[in-house]
Order: sequence, then structure tokens, then C-alpha cells
Amino acid sequence: MIKTLCTALLLLLAGCSQPKPQLNVFVWSEYLDPAVIAEFEKQFNCRVVLDYYEDPESMMAKLVAGGDSLYDVVFPSNSNLPALANRGVLAPLRRDRIPNLANIDPGFTNAPFDPGNRFGAPYQWGTTGIYARAGKDKGLDESWALVFDSAANSRKFLLIDDPRSCVGAALKYRGHSLNTADPRQLAEAMEILARAKERCLGFEGSVGARNRVLSRSADLAIAYSVDAVRGIEEDPGTRFFIPKEGGEIWLDCLSIPARAPHPDLAEKFINFMLEPRIAARTAEYNRAATPNAAARGLLDRSMLENPAIYPPADVMRRLEYANDLGTDNRLYEELWTKLKAR
Amino acid sequence: MRKTSLPLWCAAAFTFVFLYLPLAVVIVFSFNSARYGTQWKGFTTQWYATLFHSPEKLMAVRNTLVLACASTAVATVLGTLLGFGLSRYSHPGKRVISSLMYVPIVIPDIVMAVAMLMFYSLLRDWLGLFQLGMPSMILAHITFQIPFIALVIRSRLAGLDPALEEAAHDLGADAWQKVRHVTLPLIFPGIVAGAALAFTLSIDDFVVSFFTTGPGATTLPILIYSSVKRGITPDINALSTLIVLASVAGTVTMALLQRRNLAGEEK
Amino acid sequence: MVPRAKSEFGERLTPLQEWGRAALTSGPRLAWIGLFLLVPLLAIIAISFASRGTYAELEWRFSLENYARFFGFTRAGYDPLYLRILLRSLGLAAVTTVLCILVGLPLTFFIARLPRRFRHWALILVVIPFWTNLLVRTYAWQILFSGSGWIAAAAAALGLSPPGEALFPSAVAVLTAMTCDFLPLLALPLYTSVEKIDWSLAEAASDLGASRWPIFRHALLPQIKPGLSAGGLLVFIAATGQFVIPDLLGGSKTVLLGNAVQQQFGFSRNWPFGAAIACAAMAIVLGALWWFSRSTGEEGRKAML
Repeated sequence: MIKTLCTALLLLLAGCSQPKPQLNVFVWSEYLDPAVIAEFEKQFNCRVVLDYYEDPESMMAKLVAGGDSLYDVVFPSNSNLPALANRGVLAPLRRDRIPNLANIDPGFTNAPFDPGNRFGAPYQWGTTGIYARAGKDKGLDESWALVFDSAANSRKFLLIDDPRSCVGAALKYRGHSLNTADPRQLAEAMEILARAKERCLGFEGSVGARNRVLSRSADLAIAYSVDAVRGIEEDPGTRFFIPKEGGEIWLDCLSIPARAPHPDLAEKFINFMLEPRIAARTAEYNRAATPNAAARGLLDRSMLENPAIYPPADVMRRLEYANDLGTDNRLYEELWTKLKAR
Repeated sequence: MRKTSLPLWCAAAFTFVFLYLPLAVVIVFSFNSARYGTQWKGFTTQWYATLFHSPEKLMAVRNTLVLACASTAVATVLGTLLGFGLSRYSHPGKRVISSLMYVPIVIPDIVMAVAMLMFYSLLRDWLGLFQLGMPSMILAHITFQIPFIALVIRSRLAGLDPALEEAAHDLGADAWQKVRHVTLPLIFPGIVAGAALAFTLSIDDFVVSFFTTGPGATTLPILIYSSVKRGITPDINALSTLIVLASVAGTVTMALLQRRNLAGEEK
Repeated sequence: MVPRAKSEFGERLTPLQEWGRAALTSGPRLAWIGLFLLVPLLAIIAISFASRGTYAELEWRFSLENYARFFGFTRAGYDPLYLRILLRSLGLAAVTTVLCILVGLPLTFFIARLPRRFRHWALILVVIPFWTNLLVRTYAWQILFSGSGWIAAAAAALGLSPPGEALFPSAVAVLTAMTCDFLPLLALPLYTSVEKIDWSLAEAASDLGASRWPIFRHALLPQIKPGLSAGGLLVFIAATGQFVIPDLLGGSKTVLLGNAVQQQFGFSRNWPFGAAIACAAMAIVLGALWWFSRSTGEEGRKAML
């Protein structure tokens, strides 16, 4: 009897000792530099728990169905942040608690999908373009025609398995906006894509496509800049470029879910990630471009001058964000289903 | 018993080869020194070394095995009971329950997963219980494992010779003795088959696990699926190899222990 | 109405006793089913009748639009897109089931004829490859079917394909991987029947001069029907929802049922429609199953329903 009482008391006391505060982060795999996480844990004496998702749609589905009370920090991107914000899943950022928001490059503070960075702190950005093996004929016409024009291209190629990026490429090829809701323009894109689908090796995600180009089972693919840059490092015989007709720019942000269990720690985390030194390190880790103006000064020259990561100004002008189109989203998703089901 | 004919041996051998080809590739390529791509570049054990320095990946392996073992154990018991109940006794609603049992099998994973998530969220909002994590995952796994086990048991029961159980009954065995000494041993291959199936389903499950997991309860399939965005790298192959080895070791141990038990009983 | 059956040995149980026994053996599970399956299932059915708001939120506005859309009645006229998708999935599942049966029968026969102490081990051996993740296994198939693999070399040597050409994306690759993947689902239930085969019947038939196929058809097949039905059904139903293998080995060039549902819960953010696709497909498949079980008679019915 005494023994049980003592054990119970001990357990109670043990439970009373303060456990380290915990930060639950919901993130893509291999997205965060482990050294940066470790530094944050040491500096703020806490534990960071990472949970992974495989694609942003699963992330959204889980957050919306009740997962928003599980996680403290999430990484939405320009295409899904508006939907999450409008559904009340994200909490507005308190600027006074995150002073490092001032470090953000003015070019990214008023993005169309999140004016004033209300819900998301810009974390990294990149582009979608063509990743190809420089052929024996050194001259590669930097155009979407490489993908969509059978006369110009007899290479083995892959289309990207992302609806907005893929349809966007076809729209850009024809000089339209990749946010168009014009049925005729979309029908035109559908025809181009259908013909390309017949000739292509298949649809593949950005990383898989890059790997297939690296292993020479394909010559050309549509890929994201972050993946392409890693590929070029692995094999300098490959190239990445934004076609002359234009391309897509995407931006990942840091956000706090509305019912986050540890919002104060989350704000400290975001502020920490926006420090110039940390932002520069994460940009290098991911081979992504940083929207943090103060961090750019700390970057390695080779990264700043890499056109795959930081496209020149004239290319930047031809880039568009893929916006959330509200009810018009349905046009794209129906197009995609029909395209694939043909 | 007739000798097994040569064509049968050949067919079986060919099948086993094909079944093991992917696993062989996984094991071989876990020693591949190329980080990306599918070409063989050279032999290295570095991926196993890094694995043991990655507490998160080892935690995922541990979570997967715990989840699979716990859910299989409970599901086998419940599934066997259900298989029994549905095939032996008639009661109102039997047909309905039987059809209902097929639902987790027919329903696409994601629908089931989202339904479970919403249900658990509701429970949490109303009752304050049910934080998502290992327990919710185990429950969800049990729910989709039970129908598979029940189906296997039922097909086994359907073909049982009633004469054996009648004999036991005639010899004076009561219901419990009959079940324990006659029925259970007769359907034992069915139980083993069902449990093996359930274990396999749990170890490989991604969608349901993803939606019902909570922070810190990541399983291997979740880790793998989320890494696929980076491509299947050799360390994923190394992880998978470890899981298979751990499962095999566990199964062999269990079987040997059981053999010893039976041998002891027979004495 | 199911007639009140006697229990197995002719002891007459009172209805109360029957209920009691049924409750005891099914009680815990029924409660489980009720709580954890029925409620989410009802939720999904409810969602399928709901509508989608501007920001993809769930609007509890009753609507049959989702089901209409599934059956092809879109705003732009009749387009049976989703029916075609369902048909394609059922077709692939049917072919997979047939292939699994063709491969699984010899395998289970072989295992059943092994000496007793090896049988369980053989079963476990069948299952072990499936303790690797599906994705990892399918990527392994990509490696196996790649242009530089030995399977491609063998195919080139046999003149079946140009040398150096990858064997995927192709139907062959998809079917091979599907068959391999669903084999345990068939083999395990099938084995439970095959193991109990009374070979004396086959031997008697052979002594009486019957040749191979009639022996199989009349002496062996009826004995393994329960396991074959259970296994075949499991494979068929599970294969209907499979889409990872066709995507990875077929170039992701087509939409199957699984893709369609996944897309609605993902990119399209249209849960009501996704739920409707799932429910409609489920109803069709279960309906076919029920009809099939009625027509196979009592024996098959005992095994399936």
C-alpha cells in the first residue's frame, strides 16, 4: 500500500516537471535544413516535431478536415494559400511579433494572392521551366515548342503531372495568361496538350522527371527550378531555362494555422526563419531563390549569378503566378480529367 | 500423395522469382552509391550508416512495426469472431452486416481516410478525447483489417467438414472445448493467412495513416511517400530492407516459439 | 427472411440463445463496425449529396448534381466521362483477377502439396515481398523494366522489342506489377480451400480414365470454390481502386477510379463530388457482387455473403 502511494507520488512529481515546449511543423520531406532546426531548438529550448506530406493537396485536405489544431507551422504556396485563408484555416500574422517580416523584398510583399503578407511570410520562390539534356546540336531553341510542336522536336519528353503547371505551359506557348478563364483559349490548350500527350513518355512529377532525364531515359522534361538545379549539379550536361514565351513563378510561405496549439512558439519560429543568416542558409540548402532582401546580400556569388535560380529581369517580367481562380478552378480541373481520360 | 509434377514445380518457381524480383532490386539498390537516378554506380553501406544516425527515421520504423503488430493482433481476434458469427449463426441483419463488411474493401482509401479523420475530429470537438496520433491510427487500421480477416476465416469455415465437430459434440465436448480443440485448429491456417494479410495491409498503408496520424507518430509509408517528391533514394531502399528484415525476424521468432510450444504440448 | 437455422449439430437453440451466441461472437465487432465504420460511412454518403462553395468549403445544400455528373449529365450535355473511367477500372481489375487466378492456382496447389511442416513457411514466403512499401516496390519495377535492365535485354533477345528500349510505360508492365501485387490477396484465401482438398476424388476420377481438364473441373474446382470466390472477389474489388501502379508503370496517362477520387479530394477540392464518385462506384460494385452471389447458389453464397 505504501509502495503504491510512493510510486504514484513519484510519477505525479515526474509529470509535473516541465517538459520542453514543442513545435509541430507540417512540411514537405527534406525541405528544412536539419542544422537550422537544431539551432532553433537550442536557441529557444524546445523540441521541433516534423510531420510530412507528399503533396500540397493532401496537406490542405488534412488541415481543412481538422488538422489545423494539430500543427503550429505550415508551408502553403501561392496556389493554395488563398483557399486556406478564406476558409479560416490560417491565422493572420501579427507583424509586431514577427519584426523580421521587414526583411522581405518589396517585390514579394504585395503578391496578388496575399496582399501585405497577411497570412503568409514568404519563405522561398522558384520557377517552372524546361529541364533538358543539351543535345548534340548545341542550339536548343528556348521555347515551349520543344514540348508542344512535333515538327520542332523529336526527343523523348515528359509532361509535368501538375495540372496548373502543365496547362499553364500550353497556355503560355500560345501567348495566353496562365490564369485565363476564356473557354476558347482553354480549348486550344487542350488540343495542344492532347497531341503532346500522345507523343510523350508520360506524365511525371518534377523530381521524377528530373531523375529520368539524369538517367537518360528521357531527354526533356518540365520541372521546377529547385529540382533542376540539383540535377545540373549532378550532371553538367543538362540545362534549365524558362522558355521565351514565359513561365510560372511560385512562392512558398510560412503560415500559422488558426487553432495552432503553440502560436507563440510558431511566431518565434517564423521570425527566426526570416533572419537574414537563416534565410540565406535555407535558400542554399534547397537551391531555391529567397524573397528575403537582407539575406540576398549574404548569399554565395555563384548562387546569385545562377540564372536557373535567379532569372534575369527580362525573364522575370514574363513570369506569372498561378492564382486561385475561385469557381473558375473547375475549368482547369475538368480539362485535366478530360485530358488524362482520353 | 502423388508426387508434385515438374510443370507445377516450374510454375511455382517462376512465380516466386517474379514475386521476389522487386524486393531483390530494393535490397541491391540500397547499396547503390548514386544518390539520384536509377543507374548502379557502386557499392556502399553509407545509407545504412546514416539511417542509424537518423532518430526520426528509426522512430518511423518503430512506429510502423508497433502499429502493424498492435492492429493485426486485435483485428485477428475481432475478425475471427466476426467470421465465426457471420457464418455460423443467423440473426436479423446478417445479410446487411455481411454487405457492410465489404465496404472498407470497396471504398477507395482516401474516402475512408477522410471519413475517419472527420469522425475523429468530431469526437475531439464534442468529447475532448481523441488526439490524433498512434491510437487513432491503430483504430483506423483495425477497422479496415477486420473485413479482410473475416472474409478469409469465413471461406475457410465454409469448407469445413461438419462431421469433425459433430464427433466432438457426440463425445461430450461442450461448446468451448469444441471450439478450442477442434474448430480452432481446423481453421488455424485461415487465421494465419488472415493475420498475414492484415499485417501486410497495415505495413503498407499510407493514405489512412496519413490522415489519422498526429505529430510524432509518422510511419514509414508516410515518410516514403513524402520523400517520393525527392525520388526514391537509396536510403529509402535501405529503410525498406530493414523493415522487411525486422518483419521476417519477428515472424521466424514467433514461429519457432510456437513450434516449441506445440512440441512441449505433444510431450 | 433467413430461416432460423439449426446450429451445426441439430441442437435446437431458442431464438434467444441464437441471438446470445451471435451477439457474443459478433457483439464486440458489431459495436466496432457501428461506431467506427457506419458513422464515417454515413458521413461520406451525406457529403455526396452536399455542394461545394466558392472556396471549396462544404455547403450543406442538398443536391443531386454530383451523382448526375457521375452518370454523365453535365451542363454541357451528356458526357459519360466518369462511367468510362469506372468501366476502365473494372476492366483492368477483371484482367488482373484472371491473371492472378491463373498464376495463383498453380502456386497454391504447389504449396498445398508440400510436406506439412513447410506449408506455413511457404505461405509466409509468398507474403514477405509485400512487406516493402507499394511505392518502393513499384519503383523497383521501373528499374527492372528500364531499358538497361535484363528483362529488356531478354525481351530484345526474344525479338519482342527493340534493344535498349524501356519496357514501360506499357500495359505489360502494368499488368505484371498488378498481378504480382494482388497475388497474396488471392493466394491466401484460395490456399485455405486448396489445403483441404480431398485428393482421393481426383485420383478416383483419374483411375476411371478422365483426363486433366475434366478432373480439375469436376473433382477439384467445386472443392476450392469458397476460397476461389473469396480471393477472386477480394482481388477484383481491391484492384478496382488501384491507381498507383497504373500511374507509375503506365506513364500516368490515364484516369482510373482511384485517380478520379484522389483528384477530387486533392487538386479539385470537390469533396462532395469525390464522395459521390466513391459511393456510386461502391454501390455498383456491391450491387454486382450481390447479384453474382445470388446466381452462384447456396455454396458460393455461404462463402461470400
